[in-house]
Amino acid sequence: MIDNDLSLRKNPNTAFRTLAAGEGGVLLHLESGEYYGLNDIGCMIWALIDGERTVTDVVDAIRSEVEDPPTALTDDVNRFIADMRQRDLLLA
Amino acid sequence: MSGSCFGFAPVSDLSFEYLRDGDGDALEIGERDGGVDDAGGALVNEWTPIPERRSWARLYEDAGTFRLWIEGSGSFHIDPRIPRVVLPVGLESTVKREERLWGIPALLCFLGRSDHPLHAAAVEVDGETILLAAPGYAGKTTLAAGFAAAGHRVLSEDVSCLRFSSRPMLVPGPAMLRVRRDIASRLEIPGASEVAAGDDRTHYSLDRASRGDCTPVPVRAFVLLRNTEHGIRLERVSPVDSLRELWPLSFRLPTLHDRERCFQGVTALADAVPVWNLYRPLRLDLLGEVVEKIAADV
Repeated sequence: MIDNDLSLRKNPNTAFRTLAAGEGGVLLHLESGEYYGLNDIGCMIWALIDGERTVTDVVDAIRSEVEDPPTALTDDVNRFIADMRQRDLLLA
Repeated sequence: MSGSCFGFAPVSDLSFEYLRDGDGDALEIGERDGGVDDAGGALVNEWTPIPERRSWARLYEDAGTFRLWIEGSGSFHIDPRIPRVVLPVGLESTVKREERLWGIPALLCFLGRSDHPLHAAAVEVDGETILLAAPGYAGKTTLAAGFAAAGHRVLSEDVSCLRFSSRPMLVPGPAMLRVRRDIASRLEIPGASEVAAGDDRTHYSLDRASRGDCTPVPVRAFVLLRNTEHGIRLERVSPVDSLRELWPLSFRLPTLHDRERCFQGVTALADAVPVWNLYRPLRLDLLGEVVEKIAADV
């Protein structure tokens, strides 16, 4: 379970690059060499994580930027963050 | 000695067979007894032998300089900061010496210049580069030879030097081809001269009149060679999926900094250049058809 008021921090040993429009982006764990494809929303979440924003802040920011956001946005963001944590891309 | 390779102009008393025209960044090249000072440094990479494909080799790094030990050849000392390569004396031939030079030692020097090394062949079609890589090791050089036979310029045979500016560019490498003997005996490469045939390959020095220089050539496409028994076809690979293929083809040192450098290069390439899977039967009688399809469709 993720604390929605906890600030989110990236693992500094990661590299990220956005690809051409509509192609999302790619995230590399520099120590393991594993990489992950992100869709456009995933890229937006990654860009919003700055060491200060919480899950709630990220959800609010996406809701204000995306036209017609999904009703399950909070759950989607939580799942994404849990996955990133499990892969050691975000620090607990 | 005048000429260039990978954008380097050798400064050396040694002779070279595979240089292209033109000038480049000075690269000091010398020789010394490979037994001298052959210790020290941290092991950063090792290539285990694959029969008839590659020798056993180890790369050591010490404060920004490198020592490459190759079984049967000795130690190469590389300082990319100058840049300088010192070759072991006593290699079996001048051609073999030069082929070793334009492998990992030159790669480390152009890596030091912030260019991106990729394990791929490169050919020129209509003024643009088509990169050819064989993740399964099958047919890269044969296909490059097929392009040469069809009159296209071969820009690199095994190691490609990529430079990222407004779009990815290829800096031409040595003007050589090492073609499997059974293929070489059945393929005419105009202007190419046989310079060695000491192993399972026939070593060609490419036509001097058409080698050109090392002016970077924009990259048009990247083609991954796949085997099939049924027909010749091309399929686009998504940028994200192409990373899975490009990553292992890209040389990198085992440091976080160099992994990031490599990642940025690979993603820049995947983002800017269409990547294709080419499915084709491994048949020499279809080589010309495969060349035509790639030249026309990618």
